[in-house]
Amino acid sequence: MAKKLMKGSEAIGEAAVQAGCHLFFGYPITPQNEIPEYMSMRLPQVGGTFVQAESEVAASNMLYGAAGSGERVMTSSSSPGVSLMAEAISYLAGAELPVVIVNIMRAGPGLGGILPSQGDYFQATKGMAHGDFRLLVLAPWSVQEAADLVQDAFDLADYYRNPVLVLGDGLIGQMMEPVEFREGRLPIKPLEAKTWAATGNDGSKPRSVINSLFLDPEALERHNVHLKEKYDRMVRDEVRFQSYGLDRDYDVLIVAYGTVARVCSTAIDELAASGVHVGMVRPVTLFPFPYQAVREAAARASSVLVVELSTGQMIEDVRLALANSKPIHFLNRMGGMLVSPDAVVDKIRAMADGRSTEVVHA
Amino acid sequence: MTRSRVTVLVGHFGSGKTEIALNLALDLAASGTPVTMADLDVVKPYFRTRSARQLLADAGVELLAPEGEHIHADLPIIVPQIRSRLRQSDRRLVIDVGGDDVGARVLGSLADVVPVAETECLLVLNFRRPSTPDADRAVAMVREIEAVGRLPVTGLVANTHLMDETTVEVILDGLRSALECGRRLGVPVVAVAADEAIADQVRRSTDRTVLELRRIVAPAFALPRRRSTGPLFVVN
Repeated sequence: MAKKLMKGSEAIGEAAVQAGCHLFFGYPITPQNEIPEYMSMRLPQVGGTFVQAESEVAASNMLYGAAGSGERVMTSSSSPGVSLMAEAISYLAGAELPVVIVNIMRAGPGLGGILPSQGDYFQATKGMAHGDFRLLVLAPWSVQEAADLVQDAFDLADYYRNPVLVLGDGLIGQMMEPVEFREGRLPIKPLEAKTWAATGNDGSKPRSVINSLFLDPEALERHNVHLKEKYDRMVRDEVRFQSYGLDRDYDVLIVAYGTVARVCSTAIDELAASGVHVGMVRPVTLFPFPYQAVREAAARASSVLVVELSTGQMIEDVRLALANSKPIHFLNRMGGMLVSPDAVVDKIRAMADGRSTEVVHA
Repeated sequence: MTRSRVTVLVGHFGSGKTEIALNLALDLAASGTPVTMADLDVVKPYFRTRSARQLLADAGVELLAPEGEHIHADLPIIVPQIRSRLRQSDRRLVIDVGGDDVGARVLGSLADVVPVAETECLLVLNFRRPSTPDADRAVAMVREIEAVGRLPVTGLVANTHLMDETTVEVILDGLRSALECGRRLGVPVVAVAADEAIADQVRRSTDRTVLELRRIVAPAFALPRRRSTGPLFVVN
């Protein structure tokens, strides 16, 4: 297929359709409206169904029903809207339903603003909602990667029978880049028939019950253990990251994800042209976090720089990876302001000159 | 192109209207023409003309767009000065309209003050965008935008590209589709747009007027030579 020039939002929508997702339920919120807009145009062409629900609460519970019938289904929203979906996402995880949720983050807290942010890192990776569950979290840095990860997300959701969250900032949704969809793409996981799905029953087989209610404490504890084993398998098998500039010796290792890592890569290229080599590990999965990759790459550096569009939520995971073996410096912007490549270059120079104060001591 | 008092840029969503409108306004200002730019985009929340307000101010271009914190809002705000500037002004007026027929609706609401005889309405076409893969779809889109915008399209700007992966072949392919579209509509292709990095190569391959674009609307990491410090992804 010839390359198209697509907004991230359009590419996410098309990727879902290519992955066999013919159902989308959602509610509008800036800056991700182009995803439901695209799906409302595209799904009727493939015999699918688009529903603009009356709220995010309704949309996310429609996901529960659709996924329970064994169909591939997706929703998308932006930060405040995802908060409204939180209860249903816990139910989806509890009932082991495969769905794909896209969060195109905007600046918060509260209504905040409509410009890009990474302020939902904690929500995505630690505290989405009540109970004891995890989401697999994928964080693209380009429009092409957004398309690829959305297709992977459907396979991962089906394989683990768990919600998968694609986490992008507003920029990923709105920027335009060339995209190519590979024909004849195969699933990235061995997928079995969804015999658990509730598709109607004529009495010839046991009933399929989709439920997250376990009144018997022993049964619920067994369920918790079963879920935990699943999350452990994700940690063992699904870690993804990208290394940048690690083929040279470097003094500083950057850890950044999403479009911020893209900004950092521009700064790294520029610094390299002036003879300063900086390495970067870019987490592609935020849960599971690439602790080992960060630890190994940091071992070759004298200090680590975390760059984020938040108050420093990912620092906690980087700190866990490093176990205080290296000092951590931090660069950020918030409110919808972006980190510029110049700011990254300045920060690296400040670290070299001793003008930067570390936020975590070794 | 651009000899009329008013230049209106319309087209499908993501076709390049804002980039071309900004380049036109800055080129006019650089040649000493007093220019006013009006941002009528109520469709996309980022990458709007208003994002370049500092760049425009430095070039002496007057910008008509929501002010204060509303400049960042996703609200359908149309500043009232646009009506008076359309009625009468000794300045050139460049109007950036939002994408698709939805965006053109704002233009339609101004139909009573648009001076049709003094206005060129240019439709921007990128055939690598999913909504306009061919001349058939482009012709249909022109009809929709004209109906809703209540203004006939007087010219086409061939703007087919793939950002950093644009080749001369991609541009010429798009030009052929634009010419086919223009033939069926009875409307001329007034220019073929090309990034400054590739414009000379395009000039050698076609007799058409080449509109050389400097890239303004882009995220910071895509502009290693020009840096954004602001929130809105263009040079500020």
